[in-house]
Amino acid sequence: MIMMDIAHIAILLAIMISAFFAIWFDNLLNSVISLCAMSLLISLEFYILQAPDVAIAEAAIGAGLTTAIYIMALRACQSSGWRRKGNDKDERS
Amino acid sequence: MKPLSIVVRTICNIFAWFVAIFGAYVIIHGHLSPGGGFQGGAIVATFIALLLVAHGGKRFFEWVKMDIFTAFEGLGLITFVGIGFLGLSTTFLYNFLALKGGLFGSPVTIGPNAGILNSSGTIALANMAVGLEVVGGLSTIIIFMFLGMRYVMEGGKEGSEDDK
Amino acid sequence: MKGPRIIYLIFFVVFVGILCQGLYDIHPFGEPREPAMDDYFIANAQSERAANNVVTSIVFDYRGFDTLGEAAVLFTAVMSVAALFRKEE
Repeated sequence: MIMMDIAHIAILLAIMISAFFAIWFDNLLNSVISLCAMSLLISLEFYILQAPDVAIAEAAIGAGLTTAIYIMALRACQSSGWRRKGNDKDERS
Repeated sequence: MKPLSIVVRTICNIFAWFVAIFGAYVIIHGHLSPGGGFQGGAIVATFIALLLVAHGGKRFFEWVKMDIFTAFEGLGLITFVGIGFLGLSTTFLYNFLALKGGLFGSPVTIGPNAGILNSSGTIALANMAVGLEVVGGLSTIIIFMFLGMRYVMEGGKEGSEDDK
Repeated sequence: MKGPRIIYLIFFVVFVGILCQGLYDIHPFGEPREPAMDDYFIANAQSERAANNVVTSIVFDYRGFDTLGEAAVLFTAVMSVAALFRKEE
């Protein structure tokens, strides 16, 4: 039981760390991968809290489909010259 | 969009079919095991996204037409509403098939057990209808995003030839 | 982040305080405060609706109308995405 509590708290800390890195990275691709890791850890947390339905939905949508949609949008933004105009430096100041 | 390298395509050809079969299992066994129509539909839509990313748009649209997914979506929603109207002799969405024998009608033993597939009445039918709708809807979103991305990446030209 | 940062700090502290207030009053895990409906579903769902998964029998049978609304919401979202990204003829 004490091992379960330790694993629970470790997963919560990992969720907070990955959510922090999703904001912290300069490269947007790294942020998207960090969001994917956060969704995977959230699905593990739902499984520990005895909700396997929500865990399956979170793992499929949050870690699978949303990452694909974000990466498609990111490639479209990069190839349309959005990065070359210098917008990326003004983004976080 | 050019297809990805040979390593990615080989792994996708082996692995994607397991994803599809697992999604179909989650949909069909929705009334016995955790999961249901929405979760299984999301897993099958992940399979569509995997094929689309690994093989590129040109080869993917040789295999399937896009009208299939929009047809799936409308068909699933109409089937779900129709199942609701079939039980209208008592109330809307009444479970008129359970515990009657016949299709999805056999009784279950009370208590924790593995269960049998031929039970639970209209719940299984509604699971399949919602699963069909979610497969069509999420795949349509993925494919429209893909076509929009290619429209932007080719410099905003109107309608390149290999779009569909 | 333009503007004085002390405002963001004040909002952050107030928000964390409200969340901690909610966390102080939470009931323990697995013991809801009014368990009448939960007990009814757990006792009777398997014999009434003949499905072993009680969650699915609630979602698709007892509360089927909510699931119909959810399916309609998904349909509307897909229609709006298709209206945004379609090719103009």
